[in-house]
Amino acid sequence: MTSSSTEQSTKMISRKPATLPSGVQALGRIPFGPKLGIDLYQLQNGLRVLLLEDHAAPVIAYHTWFRVGSRNEREGKTGIAHLFEHLMFNETTSSPKGEFDRKLEEAGAESNASTWLDFTQYNISAPSESLDLVIGLESDRMQHLVLREPQVASEKEVVANERRYRVEDDVEGAVSELLWATAFKEHPYKWPTIGWMQDILGFTTADCEAFYRTYYSPDNASVILVGDFEPASVLQKIQNAYGQIAASGRLPDAIVAEPEQAAERVVEIRKPTMNEKLNIGYHSPPLAHADTGALNLLCEVMAGGRASRLHRKLVRELEIASEVRLSLGPFRDPGLLEVYATAREEHNADELLKAIDLEFEKLSTEEIAPQELERARARFELGLLHGLENAEGKASTIGFFECLLAEPNAAFTRLEALRSVTVSDLQRVARRYLDKKRRSVILVRISEEAAEQDGAEDSDDEEGDA
Amino acid sequence: MTLLMETDRSLPLVQLGISAYSGAVLDPQGKEGLTRLMTRLMRRTGDGLGPEVLDERFDTLGSAMSSDVSITSSGFSGSVISASLNAFVKLAQGVLCRPSFDSSELERLQRETIDEIRELKDSDRSLARMWYRTAFFGAHPYGRSVLGTEQTLSAISPDDIRAHYARTIVRDNLLLAVAGDADELRVKELEAALFDALPAGPKPESQVPAPVSLPGRRLLVVDKPERTQTQIVIGTMGSHPSDPDHTALVVGNTIFGGTFTARLMQEVRAKRGWSYGASSSVPFDRQRQSFSMWTFPQASDAAACVRLQLDLLRTWVNEGVSAEELSWAKRYLIRSNVFNLDTAAKRMSLLVDERIYDLPANYYAEYPARVEAVTLDEVNAAIRKRISLEDVLITVVGTEANIGNDLRGAVDGLSEYRVVPFDADPVSPW
Repeated sequence: MTSSSTEQSTKMISRKPATLPSGVQALGRIPFGPKLGIDLYQLQNGLRVLLLEDHAAPVIAYHTWFRVGSRNEREGKTGIAHLFEHLMFNETTSSPKGEFDRKLEEAGAESNASTWLDFTQYNISAPSESLDLVIGLESDRMQHLVLREPQVASEKEVVANERRYRVEDDVEGAVSELLWATAFKEHPYKWPTIGWMQDILGFTTADCEAFYRTYYSPDNASVILVGDFEPASVLQKIQNAYGQIAASGRLPDAIVAEPEQAAERVVEIRKPTMNEKLNIGYHSPPLAHADTGALNLLCEVMAGGRASRLHRKLVRELEIASEVRLSLGPFRDPGLLEVYATAREEHNADELLKAIDLEFEKLSTEEIAPQELERARARFELGLLHGLENAEGKASTIGFFECLLAEPNAAFTRLEALRSVTVSDLQRVARRYLDKKRRSVILVRISEEAAEQDGAEDSDDEEGDA
Repeated sequence: MTLLMETDRSLPLVQLGISAYSGAVLDPQGKEGLTRLMTRLMRRTGDGLGPEVLDERFDTLGSAMSSDVSITSSGFSGSVISASLNAFVKLAQGVLCRPSFDSSELERLQRETIDEIRELKDSDRSLARMWYRTAFFGAHPYGRSVLGTEQTLSAISPDDIRAHYARTIVRDNLLLAVAGDADELRVKELEAALFDALPAGPKPESQVPAPVSLPGRRLLVVDKPERTQTQIVIGTMGSHPSDPDHTALVVGNTIFGGTFTARLMQEVRAKRGWSYGASSSVPFDRQRQSFSMWTFPQASDAAACVRLQLDLLRTWVNEGVSAEELSWAKRYLIRSNVFNLDTAAKRMSLLVDERIYDLPANYYAEYPARVEAVTLDEVNAAIRKRISLEDVLITVVGTEANIGNDLRGAVDGLSEYRVVPFDADPVSPW
């Protein structure tokens, strides 16, 4: 037998700095699960700094979350938050193009970024001895980014290709984009984060510079550091690197609210796909709303795993679907609870819609068994634990809730809140939100050209059976 | 049964893997997909319980268990909140040792798998990988589909499943790996519980011959309508850890296409904006696998991108890498190795791979030292020796009417050109 141990990982060495660096304010310490804690600080320019010591491995995860996403864009300029995320890996006044990634890779680090409706986040996972390099590079691009036409033009092409990959040539991506454009008529959630193609290709360097000056300021960001670092010195290093960056002041946040949807919207499209598909979006509450816990559990009861109601009915009993998924969008403003299903050969999207409607109707007439609720809670808890296995997962979880709710430990407080959710809560939210009048439905048909080519099969390997 | 263990008490979570030293390579000809069908059926009929009951029990424990099948290995992976570990192992024991192989569930699974195969054709990336593999390896076992085909799945009977189970699910053919919040004593008790319930039996022979490259430069277009973009896989034979120059080739590939700042990404994406991603890899199995590059440019750039990639390949082989590049690549590989080890589950995974792929003991522990020892001459010699410029397969998924002519013009010395419809049976086109 081979065996090894990392017992030291259970210990949290808490050595908070004896005296705070000048310009840094301590905001307190909050628990992060039963064993760890987050120390919160703020610089005078408004930058929030969250530190979580975890010596399980000699690595750090360094995240920078900006409170800007595609919700902050406007018509004709959609996709700029995402394009800008790409441009942040370009040159600065002191570092030529390519240097950022090259230095990090040389240090053994991995860097990436993502943009969504409400946020843009940058993450670096690095061996712990590279922390100074990481702080230097991240603080540099927050204040000294250089934007030039050739790089902007090249990156627009990259993003256009990303869009072709994720949307134009991807059935699910294209359908999701259409669903949100159908469900939202006013609110910025109506356009995709990657942006419309004509907008992507139309951006100028001046557009990008204006976006940078407006949103990439310390008072619109949080830095999250998780892992194996020395807290006594790290705050001083962060203050030295970021302390002189000027705050932006008041950030624009005039978002148009979505008017109440009064009638069901149904759209049919044709795609070169093997089987018909169905995507439904029900208007749902924002992440901060008290009903999101019950709705998350309802999603698990209905479509979480093979023991869920929709899987049992559509996949096993009726054999009309190969998959059914439910997901609740975790967004700052009201979003969508989505249903996505794929029809089996010889079946169609209308059959899926009818069967799903019947199962949703049962929620108001039949009891949800306590075991169904327990199963849903356990699945939710396991999912949370999986997300916290390494420093990167912890930083992502903290950063997400910090950025959207200003509650960095919300993963645990919300998990705790789920324990008090009852079956009647699930029925109540089902009645409130699964309202046909407030939903949009996309029916995906098989395009004629694809239907003409139909033959036998093969494929790749090893999907799980869970 | 081999037992591997990695303890980490930081989270109340245990991850387990039960792996057989044999995979789809043991599927009989005409019954491809048998191993995967068997493991999935085990997962659905353990202790004679139906899949809904089993799943409800796994879920309620705060656990998950799924089947994993590759050409070389097969088995199950699971995770469980540590307080439920004992109950989880009882359920897992039923799956491993007492599946009922209910025939109606088998028929259902066959129908589901046939539909799954059909749906994979929605993914251009899957199509590119699938056709590349088939066209590259041909009749060699590495060219076969783990899932099988509609025809081969339909030919599999309950007796085939039972016979395959009796042959492969035996003590000597299994490995139990446990990572996370569990102590050694407890894990040994769990292993004993599994071991006692398993039949004795020899490990089935599952070695395959070394694959060989097809001669010449071959271009295969997988024709799919309405594509704005292409998926391109270009490759040749790679290497294996038993090759003395394998580590040198891995280092060379790091410079060529192994990272974001590698040559391929810089030339294809950073300079030209042609593809969102561009990378290359040197995977291995128990034998050599294919070295390959992957890009996905828009249709109008596909031919130019193929030409550029072939030029980059030629420069890499003929001119090698520089001392400066080598120094950088070594630092990257050695320092980033910490991310192969930063969780108990990752450490366990490396130990499992050493056994499954018959690697020398401490293969991964000694990896940084091997990288450090590689010289510039060794790297350049490995690239020249292993990477053929003559025997190259180019697979492109796209709309042939829009890209076919230009693609043919982009490949100097093209020896074979074939077009297959995207929904055809993936059989070697040569």
